[in-house]
Amino acid sequence: MALIRLYMTMSLDGYVTGPQDSVDAPLGINGFRLFNWLDRRNEPGPSGQVFTELMSTRAVIAGRRTYELAGRWQGDHHDGVPVFVLTHDVPDGPPPGSVRYVTDVRECAARARASAGDGDVMVHGAGAAQALLRARQLDELELHVVPVLLGQGRRLFDNLSAEHIELDLVRRLTTPEVEELARHVTHLRYRVRRPS
Amino acid sequence: MSKVVLDMSMSVDGFITGPDDGLDQGLGVNGERLHDWLGAGSGDPRSYRPVDGPGATVFDELMATGAVIVGRRTFEFAGGWAGDHHDGVPIFVLTHAAPDEPAPGHARYVTDGIESCVAQAKAAAGGRDILLHGAATAQECLRAGLLDEMELHLMPVLLGQGRRLFEDMPPDHIELELLRDLDGPGVLHLRYRVQSAG
Repeated sequence: MALIRLYMTMSLDGYVTGPQDSVDAPLGINGFRLFNWLDRRNEPGPSGQVFTELMSTRAVIAGRRTYELAGRWQGDHHDGVPVFVLTHDVPDGPPPGSVRYVTDVRECAARARASAGDGDVMVHGAGAAQALLRARQLDELELHVVPVLLGQGRRLFDNLSAEHIELDLVRRLTTPEVEELARHVTHLRYRVRRPS
Repeated sequence: MSKVVLDMSMSVDGFITGPDDGLDQGLGVNGERLHDWLGAGSGDPRSYRPVDGPGATVFDELMATGAVIVGRRTFEFAGGWAGDHHDGVPIFVLTHAAPDEPAPGHARYVTDGIESCVAQAKAAAGGRDILLHGAATAQECLRAGLLDEMELHLMPVLLGQGRRLFEDMPPDHIELELLRDLDGPGVLHLRYRVQSAG
């Protein structure tokens, strides 16, 4: 069965944007710092490897906020794979391109898994990640941990219950030492343990 | 030159305690999960030395420091370590107002701020590094540009709620450099150098 894996870039202090993120500034004030590592996305090495994996997923789940702030990806995140947008209020008008709107998180997960076939599902956005974590539908987290403290912004992990979610570190990829500091990143892949 | 090194166990979602931490449960509800990388000890901090290689390496470095800086809250929640954290090195307890009774053992209260606290610890550490404990004191040190390194024990768990290590900071970026990552059983030890406030 297809795995549902979160891909998110996070500062060491847990932020995925700078402060005051909006349609005009999707990454918030100075939030672009987080994405320096993507300069290496098409090169050999850990960051290229992780990016290639991300772009090989066969379905996407995104939260409504992320979807809108990203300009709806003009209807195609990559390769025309289905994009499931989790939202409380389905917008008027037909969704663009390969986008579908879903209001129930479990239905969203099930449809994404089914449509990914032999591939995996990528999740993008803090809101979608939290909804899937609360519903115990997230299988893995690929966190791109950037060695910076942003100080303020939107947190990846927020609004969760005090019930522990146990993880296992299944892979750790670190940028080679020759890389410039500005593009350093640690890619940590965690598997979410099923409650026994 | 002595470096100020923060040492904290943190969940992947950034918590250093569970919810409702207090005097009778220093790590909050179910927060002991964060210390699972340590060995089974009691009382004396030294008794918690892990048996695995990476854990022992990191632990021994912490216990080789020449002074300890700790916030009043963390100090009291830890029972003041009965006045001795390790080897009788001086313990500087940062607080706004010192209590009436004197600090136990090798501890002393510092009431004139983080700069003075770090300066006193450096003078007393005999060239060895300084161990820093506690989230609030870590934040003060970061804001003042006085923190040199961080040794974070990243625990593979989402606690969901509790006290966060990084909170109430200004939006100025602080650049870090990963100096070392050691993969232990059920923990990732990450050592960062604090580059600059930028």
